[in-house]
Amino acid sequence: MTKTFKNRHVESGKAHWVEWATGVVSFLLVLSMIGWIAMDALVRDDVPPSFQLTVTRTAAVEGAYRLEFDILNQGTSTAAAVLVRADVVDEGQIVDTAEVTLDYVPGRSTASGGLFLLQDPAGQEVRLRALGYTDP
Amino acid sequence: MIGLGRGGAGALIFGLPMLMTMELWHLGFYIERYRLLLLLLLNIPLLLVLAHRIGFEETFTWREAARDAVIAYAIAIVMSVLVLLLFGNIKPGMPDSEILGKIAIQAVPASIGALLGRSQFGGQNDEEAEQQDEKEDSEISTSYGRELFMMAIGALFLSLNVAPTEEIILISFKMTAWHALVMIVASILIMHGFVYAVAFRGTHELTEDTPGSHAFIRFTLPGYMVALGISFYVLWTFGRLDDTAGMQALMSAIVLSFPGAIGAAAARLIL
Repeated sequence: MTKTFKNRHVESGKAHWVEWATGVVSFLLVLSMIGWIAMDALVRDDVPPSFQLTVTRTAAVEGAYRLEFDILNQGTSTAAAVLVRADVVDEGQIVDTAEVTLDYVPGRSTASGGLFLLQDPAGQEVRLRALGYTDP
Repeated sequence: MIGLGRGGAGALIFGLPMLMTMELWHLGFYIERYRLLLLLLLNIPLLLVLAHRIGFEETFTWREAARDAVIAYAIAIVMSVLVLLLFGNIKPGMPDSEILGKIAIQAVPASIGALLGRSQFGGQNDEEAEQQDEKEDSEISTSYGRELFMMAIGALFLSLNVAPTEEIILISFKMTAWHALVMIVASILIMHGFVYAVAFRGTHELTEDTPGSHAFIRFTLPGYMVALGISFYVLWTFGRLDDTAGMQALMSAIVLSFPGAIGAAAARLIL
């Protein structure tokens, strides 16, 4: 309990057990959080970004075909300005291309986006890949 | 009338930084509606308790607190509309949901500002002066739960200011785990120092026979946990945690807790 007297706050010496319980629980939480991060700092090796791309859905929209994708950063460090390109390949020839830049793909995390293609990607070979990134 | 003016001034002073933040305009239309709704609903009890606490004259009832809270919310909405109109940010022809979203999200911090404005800029010339004498002699006790609640409001207020910006996640991406560890310790120490060591007006003191570690465990550490929890909530509301690995999410929350902890400590001094 805190008493306010003449605009001064004085913590009372005798505390309810709830205050102690909350304090101890918080203490343990802070400690475990620090432990987790320290473990991570000691154990984790810095793996530069590498990407795994999967097409989640394609749909026909007005004048184009929308290709939605998920991008998983398999590294532990975050990639910024990730450029993703989709090539539609027909008999060895690239017949259509679309690309998009994702602001961030955090380490071990997924981001998603979409591309618009003029060719129907269904039934054709689509090469989806990340072209590059910058360190944030 | 003066009260309304003070509320409006408070809403402006505390709300302008957010009204001029680009990310918050964007959030207005892409934030998921159930998260926005939850934020708006949570704001109501928050304003209620804040209004009740700020007007802590003995005569102050929950009914009056409810009235003040509603007025503050209304002032905040009106101010948000006016300022967003002034910035050309809402125009006729925009979809309703975009306009509504922009106003609703801005009204939350502005409403807290409106209430604070009322209390912090309150002059001594009207009826408050009479009650000042009584207040000098009266002792009020703040319950432990209320103390933590005040910290939550302070943390929420500062978190809302910075959470929508891209810098929060950018900082967490730039930091290593070691930076995060130092940041946790720094946040906790600053928080403790703000309340107990630095002699601001409203500084907390310990009774003679209470060792300093008591306050640290009973108030500062739970306060930091409150700030961290608020950080997680705000980041989640703004969709910053979606599809993010646990470690990255924790890092962002720690970054946001840094201002959050200072806000929580400041709230204990001011309120």
